[in-house]
Amino acid sequence: MIKSIFLKEWLKLKRVWLLVLLLNLCCMAYLLIVIRHQFQIEHSEMIWYWSFELRRLLYDEIKYIPLLTGLVIAIAQYLPEMINHRFRLSLHLPLQAHLQVLIWIGFGALMGGVIALIDMASLYLIIKGWFPTEAAASALLTAAPWFLAGWVSYFGATLVMVEPHVPQRLVYLLMSLAFLALLYLEKGYQEYDHALPVMILLALLMAPAIILPVHRYRHRS
Amino acid sequence: MSAHLARFCSLIVMVFLLALWLPQLHGMIFDYRFGKTQLLYSPVIKKFIYKELVGEGHQFIYRDQDGKDYSQREFEMLIPFIYYKNMEIWGKMPLEIDAQRFDKAAIKAERLVLELKPVELKGHSPRIQLFPLLESNPGRARLSFPENIVRPGKDLSFINSDENKLDDELTETFTNVLTDKGFQFPVLDTFGRVSILKAFDAGYFLIDSNHDLFHLLKRDGQAKVERIALPDTFKIRHISVAENKSRQFLAIVLDEAGRLYLMRYGSYDLVPLALPDYDPDSMELKIIFNPLYRTAIYSDQQTVHAVVMDRDFNRVDSYERKMAMANIRPSDRVWQIATPFSLPLHDGNTRYLSLMPRFHGWLGLIGNALCLAVAFAILKKRAISLREAVFDLLLVALTGLYGLIAILMLPLQKAYNPGGGRDDLAASEAALSS
Repeated sequence: MIKSIFLKEWLKLKRVWLLVLLLNLCCMAYLLIVIRHQFQIEHSEMIWYWSFELRRLLYDEIKYIPLLTGLVIAIAQYLPEMINHRFRLSLHLPLQAHLQVLIWIGFGALMGGVIALIDMASLYLIIKGWFPTEAAASALLTAAPWFLAGWVSYFGATLVMVEPHVPQRLVYLLMSLAFLALLYLEKGYQEYDHALPVMILLALLMAPAIILPVHRYRHRS
Repeated sequence: MSAHLARFCSLIVMVFLLALWLPQLHGMIFDYRFGKTQLLYSPVIKKFIYKELVGEGHQFIYRDQDGKDYSQREFEMLIPFIYYKNMEIWGKMPLEIDAQRFDKAAIKAERLVLELKPVELKGHSPRIQLFPLLESNPGRARLSFPENIVRPGKDLSFINSDENKLDDELTETFTNVLTDKGFQFPVLDTFGRVSILKAFDAGYFLIDSNHDLFHLLKRDGQAKVERIALPDTFKIRHISVAENKSRQFLAIVLDEAGRLYLMRYGSYDLVPLALPDYDPDSMELKIIFNPLYRTAIYSDQQTVHAVVMDRDFNRVDSYERKMAMANIRPSDRVWQIATPFSLPLHDGNTRYLSLMPRFHGWLGLIGNALCLAVAFAILKKRAISLREAVFDLLLVALTGLYGLIAILMLPLQKAYNPGGGRDDLAASEAALSS
């Protein structure tokens, strides 16, 4: 049964996922071009000075891409289910509802996570192309909250879409926006190093939270 | 996984976000530009004087330590070494203080400000450990950044920024010079000022694995290393390098015990500064030099301290004052009662985002009790038993207003049972698992 659910989710997501993956790869290619261009028009030692001392982030072009990725995956996964109440049918599979929910969101989060891993590897390699290893590692730590925003936007969009009641939907929307806003407060590199573990923990709490709106969806009048 | 547990997950996230964003919102509505009190020592009246904003608008006071008020012009005339340009305009130059005459050139030659802020300290800011080693004898008017950067570690590596590759030759040369001078790798710490907008370049101070201090310069392309003798038990925490025209002092040195020293230019002699109650982790320090005195002024968000010393750094006088910005205003008091804690994110002493709660003390308990009473009333109105609502009540008891808002936003009685009628979560949860 679990395999069948995975297959169903994959069939539902694969086209959009490949498109989103392509979009992410295009963005990373753009980042590569931007950084290469910087090094062509400026002296390398000045760019290193801006990056290390003035804390300028040369890679912040990609900061909202994971957020968009999470959002698109959630829409692709749950919007078709919400049309004509198809979601109700899915909830009648012979499997405990909460387990089913966790498999759905686990699959969606995994799909987003795979793209995030590809992005992180690309970011590391791009930065390493023009900077020492320390800077590439620092870029990953700096971008970590942006990648976490991918999961937060995915869980948040899922909460909003699955929730059947408008007031609660607004509450989930506000909660997700408040969380997302928290992940874009950086003024330089690695400022989230101390706060990130707590933020990851809180983002992960949003995953089981989706069981409640699903529960309400199933039992609404 | 129960629907109850799912709700609790949402509530925890909500409480965290409320504790973080509501104080920000409160700050945006009620914060005012009070800023820190400007405390100085007047060489004219031999008293501490200060300028402070005490109310909204431009309600500045100019006052001395005995409570005597001055006009802005009188205040500036009490610190003529700072406002020497105004003195010139007002025809008060040259100055005559303590039977000594000071013209513009004499004042300019002695004026110096050294600073140390908590945010500079290790652990207070992230810092990629790569540093450009400038040519200290550029042979031209301005300093410039080199094409290679130093990576202090198990050796002193140089990385070429054009090729992003290790420069083996420079690495070997500089590492060998340091080793010959007795430097024990790896490098524990590196201190310097990365800028080309400075009077000269003093290179870097390096701490080796024995906690010994070395001064490294690149002079005419060659490594110039000096070992700086320190007392055996002396462990350096931070060195704030100050490359200024006067070349009197090269750096402020902070040791692990929190004591401060000034390092003399050339001799590296350390001059101890006796600064009572100075806390480097929370206080900004400024040392102001003039032809007669050296004044150390240091403050956190509550109190400003000043110690005035003579030219030989002997204590002359000291003063401390609780700043107007530390006075709790009615909106702050209401906030402290309404909420038990805040997650302030930025504390001003570090670049890192912090999630350490700032507790509001016993006043917050009043708000918690009120919120708990409201929660009880709501539960009673909704006919929910205490047993079912124990987590909600615990959440409100611990987190006050944040918890109350969270349980109002995501109320306990909102689930629907399979029959379509309203029921509590527990009942419909049983249906879910069936």
